[in-house]
Amino acid sequence: MMDLLHWDGTLSAKDFRIGAVAFAQKWESLNFAFPPWVWVPCPKHPWLASPEEEGYLSMEKICISRLNEEDIDQTTQIDTDEEEASCSGNKDVIDDATLVQRNHHELHYYDFHIVYSNTFRVPVLYLRAYCSDGQPLQLDEIEKELPTCSSKELSKSKWTFITQEEHPHLKRPWYKLHPCGTGEWMKLLFLNDTAQPKFEVVLELYLLSWFSVVGQVVGLRIPFKMLNDR
Amino acid sequence: MAAESPSSVRKVVVHLRATGDAPILKQAKFKILGADKFAKVIDFLRRQLHQDTLFLYVNSAFSPSPDELVIDLYNNFGFDGKLVVNYACSMAWG
Repeated sequence: MMDLLHWDGTLSAKDFRIGAVAFAQKWESLNFAFPPWVWVPCPKHPWLASPEEEGYLSMEKICISRLNEEDIDQTTQIDTDEEEASCSGNKDVIDDATLVQRNHHELHYYDFHIVYSNTFRVPVLYLRAYCSDGQPLQLDEIEKELPTCSSKELSKSKWTFITQEEHPHLKRPWYKLHPCGTGEWMKLLFLNDTAQPKFEVVLELYLLSWFSVVGQVVGLRIPFKMLNDR
Repeated sequence: MAAESPSSVRKVVVHLRATGDAPILKQAKFKILGADKFAKVIDFLRRQLHQDTLFLYVNSAFSPSPDELVIDLYNNFGFDGKLVVNYACSMAWG
């Protein structure tokens, strides 16, 4: 049986799947702010006995549309303009400029995948964003939009480790948060857990703890009740 | 009888615990307003250790977001009248 002291903080592919399923179940029952994660099987060798082992977790079409301060000001201005227009008696005139401004606030959609890295033996977060017409968002646009934490330096440094790479299963360019170092801090997280859990418990909680760190980069928060449910 | 102070002025005792190869602070315990964000703890540590890359986490194998309120963290993860915050200097990202 694995002893935490000698554990390197990484997981086998099989353990990743167990952990992923446990995480998805917990998330579904305790996190109501978001839709559930879905396990997407990607069997490399579908003819083998256990074709379900390879796969990834997927949470897609998360709509992020937050009005920032500038937008609120714009909205106020638009209302004022309309009022003036109607007062002047031009009620039937449709101000194209006003309409364009109003629709300027696009809805953006985010797809998040938690994929196992065979090289690092840890989960890796992949993400991509796009407009309602499918047009992809660039990293700098994503960076501006995802909620950053108040500690600007921290969030800034984390963003430098997001790069564009080919999704290992979908073979399309996605953004990925670099996984090296993950094993190190995962080991720390559990080594100093006062509950001193056995490895089976570590497996059950692994993705949750991992996500508490990684989710911060993309502004996805883990509610406390998910962590307290042990 | 002293009136119970509102949670906004209530202070939380934070105990900073070095893990891994992180330097140990001479003064590891301090009080912080419950209404303050965890970011304050992070910034305090960074100034004390002159280190920017710190990894902070609490005893339930969880790393709090800098925007979490200290009082919320204490209520959920505190025990024995204090909130233990572990820190390490390992690089968090690739």
